Amino acid sequence: MTELATMDFHPRPQSGDAKPWAFPAPERGTLDNGLTVLRCHRPGQQVVAVEVLLDAPLDAEPAGLDGVATIMARAFSEGTDKHSAEEFAAELERAGATLDAHADHPGVRLSLEVPASRLAKGLNLIADALRAPAFADSEVERLVTNRLDEIPHELANPSRRAAKELSKELFPPDARMSRPRQGTEETVAAIDSAAVRGFYEKHVRPATATAVVVGDLTGIDLDALLGDTLGAWTGSSAEPRPVPPVTADDTGRVVIVDRPGAVQTQLLIGRVGPDRHDRVWPAQVLGTYCLGGTLTSRLDRVLREEKGYTYGVRAFGQVLRSAPDGTGAAMLAISGSVDTPNTGPALEDLWTVLRTLAAGGLTDAERDVAVQNLVGVAPLKYETAAAVASTLADQVEQHLPDDYQATLYRQLAATGTVEATAAAVSAFPVDRLVTVLVGDAAQIKAPVEALGIGEVTVVAAE
Amino acid sequence: MPMGHTATAQAGSGGLTATEHRLANGLRVVLSEDHLTPVAAVCLWYDVGSRHEVKGRTGLAHLFEHLMFQGSAQVKGNGHFELVQGAGGSLNGTTSFERTNYFETMPAHELELALWLEADRMGSLLTALDDESMENQRDVVKNERRQRYDNVPYGTAFEKLTALAYPEGHPYHHTPIGSMADLDAATLEDARAFFRTYYAPNNAVLSVVGDIDPEQTLAWVEKYFGSIPGHDGKPVPRDGSLPETIGEQLREVVEEEVPARALMAAYRLPHDGTRACDAADLALTVLGGGESSRLYNRLVRRDRTAVAAGFGLLRLAGAPSLGWLDVKTSGDVEVPVIETAIDEELARFAEEGPTAEEMERAQAQLEREWLDRLGTVAGRADELCRYAVLFGDPQLALTAVQRVLEITAQEVQEVAKARLRPDNRAVLVYEPTAPEAPADQDENEEAAR
Repeated sequence: MTELATMDFHPRPQSGDAKPWAFPAPERGTLDNGLTVLRCHRPGQQVVAVEVLLDAPLDAEPAGLDGVATIMARAFSEGTDKHSAEEFAAELERAGATLDAHADHPGVRLSLEVPASRLAKGLNLIADALRAPAFADSEVERLVTNRLDEIPHELANPSRRAAKELSKELFPPDARMSRPRQGTEETVAAIDSAAVRGFYEKHVRPATATAVVVGDLTGIDLDALLGDTLGAWTGSSAEPRPVPPVTADDTGRVVIVDRPGAVQTQLLIGRVGPDRHDRVWPAQVLGTYCLGGTLTSRLDRVLREEKGYTYGVRAFGQVLRSAPDGTGAAMLAISGSVDTPNTGPALEDLWTVLRTLAAGGLTDAERDVAVQNLVGVAPLKYETAAAVASTLADQVEQHLPDDYQATLYRQLAATGTVEATAAAVSAFPVDRLVTVLVGDAAQIKAPVEALGIGEVTVVAAE
Repeated sequence: MPMGHTATAQAGSGGLTATEHRLANGLRVVLSEDHLTPVAAVCLWYDVGSRHEVKGRTGLAHLFEHLMFQGSAQVKGNGHFELVQGAGGSLNGTTSFERTNYFETMPAHELELALWLEADRMGSLLTALDDESMENQRDVVKNERRQRYDNVPYGTAFEKLTALAYPEGHPYHHTPIGSMADLDAATLEDARAFFRTYYAPNNAVLSVVGDIDPEQTLAWVEKYFGSIPGHDGKPVPRDGSLPETIGEQLREVVEEEVPARALMAAYRLPHDGTRACDAADLALTVLGGGESSRLYNRLVRRDRTAVAAGFGLLRLAGAPSLGWLDVKTSGDVEVPVIETAIDEELARFAEEGPTAEEMERAQAQLEREWLDRLGTVAGRADELCRYAVLFGDPQLALTAVQRVLEITAQEVQEVAKARLRPDNRAVLVYEPTAPEAPADQDENEEAAR
């Protein structure tokens, strides 16, 4: 039933000569107020990316006030000593800028993007926000209400709901990581402007902050600009804070978050493992990619391209918090969604893929393709200023050297098949995975129990 | 292969240039050099989208896009993905109302591979297409529909709004994902006929952007694509023209298990490619394009009746564009409260027009969005194809931002007055219901609607 093509065919072309490319090396310095600055000139990138990292981690939030870091982060763009909340938003947009702020386990991060021609204006606004935030009662009150309104939306989203349940399962109840990053209805309701200001005064100061500036800096006197803006921010010095080690219970088990009538089951299968300070990281990146990095990795080759159970399943390692002393950790997980009737068969195939990997290992061809992709895509991945700034900021946040990413590419290229296999198998051991399924318990519980991948419990969605 | 425009930057193009070429088989080619980073983007737009689909076969253009990754004469199975990724490239394809695009971003020294791969499937897809691929990708696409639309709150809102805003039988009445029933009904023969009808070099534009040698690139394009025969079998697309305004307020209330009440609306707006469309873009930005917009200030900051409020613009060339309002209510606030406030703001805006400062802000926002889009080789390649396919002139991509900056406050006011009116919108209201009892339920209530 096939038909003949009518074109001239040519053999597949060979690669040309690769042109050199290296992950950009930033220039590091310190302003008089103690603020660390990393800068990086990227010709042609007319939208400049500025990331500011604050040493205000979630585990520093006072007891019962989970979410105060998030409210503080959002309140930075709700008025300063110069502008009301509405004026501040208007000034940002007038500069063609966007400013996002986000609180996570390692700290609070502000991300500014602004056309190079208006960088001065953008830096002025972010500096005002950090130096003299208004934290007006009424604005904080509004942010709290807004945050409370968001929570039901997040719980109704299958992937967000799954992430919340996995954190609760993995980490001990007293660990901040076991609870939602942005707080619960109870804790958020307790936040007011005094709490926000208290958190700010305790944890936000230039001496423990870092700014990363990336973009086309041609014709820009960045030292002068920084001196007038972020350089005018003052604050006391502070001792580094001790951070508690990350511990997790990865006893193999299954939790079903019941959503009656759901047409798909959201899967999130995870545990906690080595982070970037562990020597195994490059091999783990490689092995995880071979397992589930793309459509042609082992998981999708079966679950999507052979069986059609899913639009796509991915395996990944995501740093939760990193520390030079080895007390950090990464979330190692597999996620995706499968249609409800095929939930049992899909999980069975998924476990078979993991067992096959453990029994037979990766092939050299798989390893080679993975290295070529992971290393080869770097110039594409880091074309924009924002992508470079984000990775440089990650490195700072994770206490890694500025040349970490460049070194990682060399290490990936030098990692063999045997090491990648070993890392993938120890990252995803079949009997040490916590499985969260957000779906219709009435339809999926029995087939999942039959798989013998751990005890199955059902919890309500709300 | 006559050379089109020369590579001299036009005013307002930010120094970017592009050249145009046409192969004997009708394939249009656009090249744009940029040697800052050793990468090259290949983008191929086929002038076919969901608007070309016929009754009973919605979703076919998108399902077909998936089949384009299932192998061709010289590329086995998932080889297209494997070869691109193995060369350090990234790739994908997407389907919209008006076009289907395929793209690879490659390290510059792997450009030739991407051209070879695109040519192989353009010329020989049907030698490899079989039932197994068809059945597998049908299941994958149905799962894509479940994941992105059916299994998320408000997931089918856009589909419902589109169906309201474009009348039954109109080519834009349905969205690219299609219905489950039609995805089930599509046959291998439908897919073959679709390819034979629409996948021809003279129905496509190829752009290559980045660290390239234009002469060498053009030689490769000629070598790999030049022998693929063009054909004129493409039917004239169904007429998408409609009166400028709907003429009445259409309304649908959805009772569903969603986390909060919502008010959404679709306004009929001028076609893409016109000054009036750029003016509408600015109007929607002033009214609902960020945290300093009028609706955000009114509903989220002052009245505190909404958790989120904003406007989006879906630019369309073959039918009226669509302005999409999306408001999620705060707490127990009722929809009429929100609706009254919105109508007040829209009426006031039509009466006053934007302030000079609002114009400055909206233009600065749209300018940054354009800089972002043109800041990557892949973004630039896609925009060049867009203007070539939809408006016949890729050069327009390079001056698009300039045109937005030339729009006057008066034009913005005029379009708001004429179009952002209650009798020119389709309204969709969500009223939450209690969670279902854990009993057997119809799994797919969308299909029954």
